[in-house]
Amino acid sequence: MISVADLLVDGRIPGNYFATDAYVHSDLELGLLENRRGDRLLAIPDTLIRAIYAGLEKETGQATRLVLFNCGRWWGKNFYARFGEELTDYYGCPLAEMPMSDFIQSLKQCWLTHGWGTFDLDQTYQHRGFLIVKVTHSPFASHSPNMSRPVCFLETGVFSSFFSQLAGREVNCIQISCESQGADSNRFLIGLPDRLQGVSEMVEAKVGHEEIMKKLCG
Amino acid sequence: MHPTLESVFNDAESRYLNANELNIVGNYVESIPDRLDVYRILRDEEVNILQPVVDQLQQKFPASDAKRLERGIKNGILSLRACAMGMLLNDQGYVQERIQWIKQTQKNNGLEDIDAVFYPLLEQQLNKTLGNLKMKLLQETFQQVRSALLSDDSSSPSVSPSPSPVVPDPVDELNLESLF
Repeated sequence: MISVADLLVDGRIPGNYFATDAYVHSDLELGLLENRRGDRLLAIPDTLIRAIYAGLEKETGQATRLVLFNCGRWWGKNFYARFGEELTDYYGCPLAEMPMSDFIQSLKQCWLTHGWGTFDLDQTYQHRGFLIVKVTHSPFASHSPNMSRPVCFLETGVFSSFFSQLAGREVNCIQISCESQGADSNRFLIGLPDRLQGVSEMVEAKVGHEEIMKKLCG
Repeated sequence: MHPTLESVFNDAESRYLNANELNIVGNYVESIPDRLDVYRILRDEEVNILQPVVDQLQQKFPASDAKRLERGIKNGILSLRACAMGMLLNDQGYVQERIQWIKQTQKNNGLEDIDAVFYPLLEQQLNKTLGNLKMKLLQETFQQVRSALLSDDSSSPSVSPSPSPVVPDPVDELNLESLF
């Protein structure tokens, strides 16, 4: 028989850790925005993102994408560590024991609450060893210069690092559709490096994401 | 905060509240003791309210479904707590944000059939415990939760993609190593 009292550990039922009104705190006296753990948050205007792109283009030219990708890699590694700690503390169970659906649901909410757009995980091709992350309303896509190619280098770096940590092995991430090019969402294909051979070339040749997946999966 | 109240406070930045706006605030303030009363009952009687519901629920589902039932019950407890707080704050927006999370959990864990039994039973138990007058205060947020969770809403995305002929079961445990 299920006992309600037994289900309530310390009277708690963990819910949505990243609920906006619970996660974001402000300290008006010190001028700080913090998350519920006390880590500092920052609200940055669109203009700053545009300025970062413009400054990098001016100073590093074609290396912009590499610089942003590497920033994303570094960010992704730390983001994974912090995200994991927060979830483990809140839900009271090691990350490895957490159902994937709960993990992804938290990640979706985290993405939303931070104002990075919406996040979804497409597992259609998981049986072929591929995951596709779909992000809509990305601030990086909407404020990048027109490059006639996918431009979410920062997010590509974040996801390559994040999912590598999650999988416990090195996985690559390549953006295969981009809102800056009129796509309905930004799609990031994640898989083992050798399975993603040729994908970058297809992206450069402006092959659509559905066509890319057809060629990869047969 | 209730959006009407919030807009009243925001709009009054550069002026005093007019008579109508003051009435809105006054009505809420006057209702607070009753709301606190209902909230205290829900808090103090949580187990007594829910256990009879859970007992009846278990009669309708096989013992092998215990894990799923537990998940459904925990989700139900969360939603009742959200209703209680939403009622106290008179803020459906508070409830709405929590419903989306609870609804997603329902979808991810396939709890629709459990919820279809749980919420009507819970409503009966709440009516019994609170009585008509007190239940009226909770009714708005409770119906908000109930109709969201018992509706057939296929528009909210789930972790799994939209139906496709060869979509396998979603990866369950947090172990992507085998996936790649």
